[in-house]
Amino acid sequence: MNINKPNRTSRSVLLKGGALAWAQLAALSGLLTMATVSSAGDAQQIIRDRCLSCHSETGDRQAPFSRISQQRKTPEGWEMTLQRMQAIRGLKISPQEKRTLIKYLSDTQGLAPAETEGVRYVLEQNRNAVESLENQAIAGKCSVCHSGARVALQRRSEPEWEKLVHFHMAQFPTIELLAGARDHDWFEQTINEIVPELANSYPLNSTQWSDWKTVKKQPLTGSWRAVGWLPEKGEYEARFTVTALDSDYYNLDIRGKYADGSPLSGTGRALVYTGYEWRSNVTINGIKMRQVFAASEDGLAMEGRMFLRSANELGGAVRAVRESPDRSHILSISPSYLKQGERSVINIIGSRLYGKIALGHDLKVLKILSRSADRVSVLAEATEGASLGKHPVSIGSANGGYLAVYDRLARVEVTPTESIARVGGNGGKLAKQKVAYRAVGYAAGNDGQPGTEDDLRLGYMPAHWSLKAFDEVAEHDKDLLFAGTINSVTGVFIPGDAGPNPARKMSTNNVGQLAVVATVKDGNQQVSGDNHLLVTVPTFMFPVIQ
Amino acid sequence: MNQSNLIEKRRLGLVLAGALAISVLASGCSSTQHHADASGSVSGTESAKGESHEYLLTVTRPNNLHVIDMESHHITRSCDIPGSFGGQISLSPDNRTAYILSNGMENVYGLNIETCEQVFSAIQSTADVKVKTFVSIAVSSDGAELYTVQNPVRRLKDEFKVMSPVLAVFNTEDGLNARPVRTFPVDRRITTIAAAANGEVFLGGGDLKAINPKTGEIRMVSALQSEDRPRWLTPDAFAMFNLGEQANEYILPYVTAEFADDTMNFETAAWWWGMNRVDLATGKNQRMEFAPFEFIIFNLVADPNDKNIVYGAFNTISKHDVKNKKVLGVKDLDHTYYNINISGDGQRLYIGGTSSDISIHDHESLEKIGSIQLPGDMSTADLRVARLPH
Ligand code: HEC
Ligand code: HEC
Repeated sequence: MNINKPNRTSRSVLLKGGALAWAQLAALSGLLTMATVSSAGDAQQIIRDRCLSCHSETGDRQAPFSRISQQRKTPEGWEMTLQRMQAIRGLKISPQEKRTLIKYLSDTQGLAPAETEGVRYVLEQNRNAVESLENQAIAGKCSVCHSGARVALQRRSEPEWEKLVHFHMAQFPTIELLAGARDHDWFEQTINEIVPELANSYPLNSTQWSDWKTVKKQPLTGSWRAVGWLPEKGEYEARFTVTALDSDYYNLDIRGKYADGSPLSGTGRALVYTGYEWRSNVTINGIKMRQVFAASEDGLAMEGRMFLRSANELGGAVRAVRESPDRSHILSISPSYLKQGERSVINIIGSRLYGKIALGHDLKVLKILSRSADRVSVLAEATEGASLGKHPVSIGSANGGYLAVYDRLARVEVTPTESIARVGGNGGKLAKQKVAYRAVGYAAGNDGQPGTEDDLRLGYMPAHWSLKAFDEVAEHDKDLLFAGTINSVTGVFIPGDAGPNPARKMSTNNVGQLAVVATVKDGNQQVSGDNHLLVTVPTFMFPVIQ
Repeated sequence: MNQSNLIEKRRLGLVLAGALAISVLASGCSSTQHHADASGSVSGTESAKGESHEYLLTVTRPNNLHVIDMESHHITRSCDIPGSFGGQISLSPDNRTAYILSNGMENVYGLNIETCEQVFSAIQSTADVKVKTFVSIAVSSDGAELYTVQNPVRRLKDEFKVMSPVLAVFNTEDGLNARPVRTFPVDRRITTIAAAANGEVFLGGGDLKAINPKTGEIRMVSALQSEDRPRWLTPDAFAMFNLGEQANEYILPYVTAEFADDTMNFETAAWWWGMNRVDLATGKNQRMEFAPFEFIIFNLVADPNDKNIVYGAFNTISKHDVKNKKVLGVKDLDHTYYNINISGDGQRLYIGGTSSDISIHDHESLEKIGSIQLPGDMSTADLRVARLPH
């Protein structure tokens, strides 16, 4: 065993000890209960009334309030700060005032859409995102206790980045004693080397932000065509009807169906921050869900994730386009692959799908099975010699997406590629944290070698799901027996019960290291892929931003 | 090493890097030092039996000091400690006073362990400066002075400013509400400290240094983080408990790796447990790698009769021949224990911390031979031995 693998018991014991934060809950979800429209004057008055017992007015009109005016962050970022002010600094503020402030601060000191690119997974509450910050020095120092995205989703002046480091030291005095910190001058290096990097990578003033401030923000009302995926349910298509209740505050009506034809319907309310940050609480078929979307800069598209409010890990991507008489779109093609010399039913979903159906060279539409403006279903065939690769699909003037023509399924990737589940239930307060998997197929590409850059992504494929022990230690500890089960059809992993298990060595919890295996059929052959799943103890921390 | 990754794994990462200390520290910490015997002589077998009686000291939640008879294994006395939980203990040379770092790593309370009377207190924080002492608490060998390493932060109205750490010197005679009589700047990241008979205070941090508490002069004892040792990983020293009192020494354990070649490949590297051990009678230090990293040895204690034999505990209890770098025995434990100590005769090992039981083991077989149940959780509290004449 090497140093990177202390045994399982130490892992669980130590994990539960790290009480680094106070409880923080459900991102912004409480903010949607009522319209929060107030004037900037109201918001500034709230700051004067509620914050100036500790903060001060600087006299500088550009940055009127100490600490508060020299940083920009997401709505969730502002919520975290205000929660801390309440929880440990002694701020007294009403829920309504807090909502008003978060809205005001996000609108006036938020992030431009481009500034959130690539790090939205934390806002979307995707717990299994694998991240890689560009700046390795910052990642090494700062993505230890929380995500690097928490850092990358803020913009500050250099003195404010420095004050943040002092705050960390004061709040978590042992921060410089953590592994990876205690073998060097952590504090001095962070102040002298990392703070300038932070100020450089994430500066208070940016052209992206000054440009975004001048953009005229479009109200997001109208009819939106959307496609998405939800664990256990699968792919769906829907129409969101959005009507304004107030400025940046919307009513939302959702109607659609899952791929199996079962209906999907619901309603909700949405609040839009910073001109593009769409947050909504919806109830779909009786289940409370949350949407975290970003509208495109032109206000014509939205993208993000919808997930269960009771279990953030259960959710999936959503894409929507605003419908308009002069635009048509293809939103999804399912399945997105077709094998040489074979035929299959292809469903094309979009908006205003009028006109000629074109699947590209070497692909024939044998029969149109059904057709509407929203959805076209065809029986398609690829010739034996159809060229391998992506064939763009169009219907009339609608574009978007492709059919991947392939020869052989060469590789199956399990997504998420790295994952964590947490034991729970069993009379405890915390529910089990599950993981929902999907399998992505690849052909080998021109070089005939799977696993290389030119592999052809075929898209999501139905798979048979199973588990195996991750390594020898897991084998020895019989993790497979204790750590949980996977639904062979839906690919949803359910971890074991919380609490010590007397049947295990040292009465260890039902933790373990597993490999999740997806097996996909391709003609007569079966191709499997696996990933790593860590099943661990419950966490008591649910920060707004991981 | 594989750096950034799954965001939820971060907290795991802390653990995976061999970083056992974190959660211990995060919840308040532990250390102590003292030597068993006022004369400064190493406590040998002769003095262990007959003339004196050994007591095990530890602290449990909510905040009680327990004095446990090491023959009957019963709790002789339990004393209330003011403030919130924290249990790093340092003993006066006559072993009658236990100085306890408590109340969220901030205050020091001196309790007479025979009467529970509070005879000393030092409230280190002030209205605008918050002071934390990780596990750095020690009493001079003449008992006149108490040392802590203070990590101060100035709390302004809407921001905090980290200040430089200092060694604070208190007169133990000052009794309640003692204030430092001298302070000297020291390195950041100091955890355990120990006072030697020559007057020096050993500071276990990124490097092992020693300070003269009269003048503030500091000397390097053993370079760790600032050492330049080709093909070796910078040692990761983590001392959360003051170790070695029964042999009158101070042990600072560390983990390091010896690389096979200049490519610094972690996969092929040989991982080692190492330690610095200071003889507190002479102030002499020895540094060595002594055991391959095959299991976690969070804490070490030497056999008072044969310093070449050390014992380690965490998930396992193990026995080591230091000179020959040999593992003489290793046994699984029924749960994790943070902390280890040994009887003066070297016969019985006591392991505690983490939970509410102290497990007693035979020094030869390492088998469990007894257990002491406490009324509360020890968490990260110390396990010290006091020797009293009765
Ligand atoms: C009771 C005192 C107190 C009140 C009231 C208070 N704050 Fe603070 N604030 C602090 C302190 C102390 C800090 C520095 C420590 C920290 O960051 O938590 C701080 C820091 C901040 C920061 C910087 C945080 C960072 O991440 O760098 C912001 C922004 C802030 N406060 C906003 C506000 C707002 C807005 C209000 C009013 C709605 C407010 N505070 C009310 C005491 C207060
Ligand atoms: C010891 C673990 C730890 C390390 C290491 C750490 N952080 Fe944090 N950080 C936290 C915790 C816990 C919070 C949450 C504070 C709160 O609840 O408001 C936090 C909050 C933050 C916030 C949000 C503050 C706000 O109110 O807007 C930012 C930004 C941040 N950290 C950046 C950094 C940077 C930059 C580094 C590296 C220099 C870093 N963190 C290293 C634990 C850590």
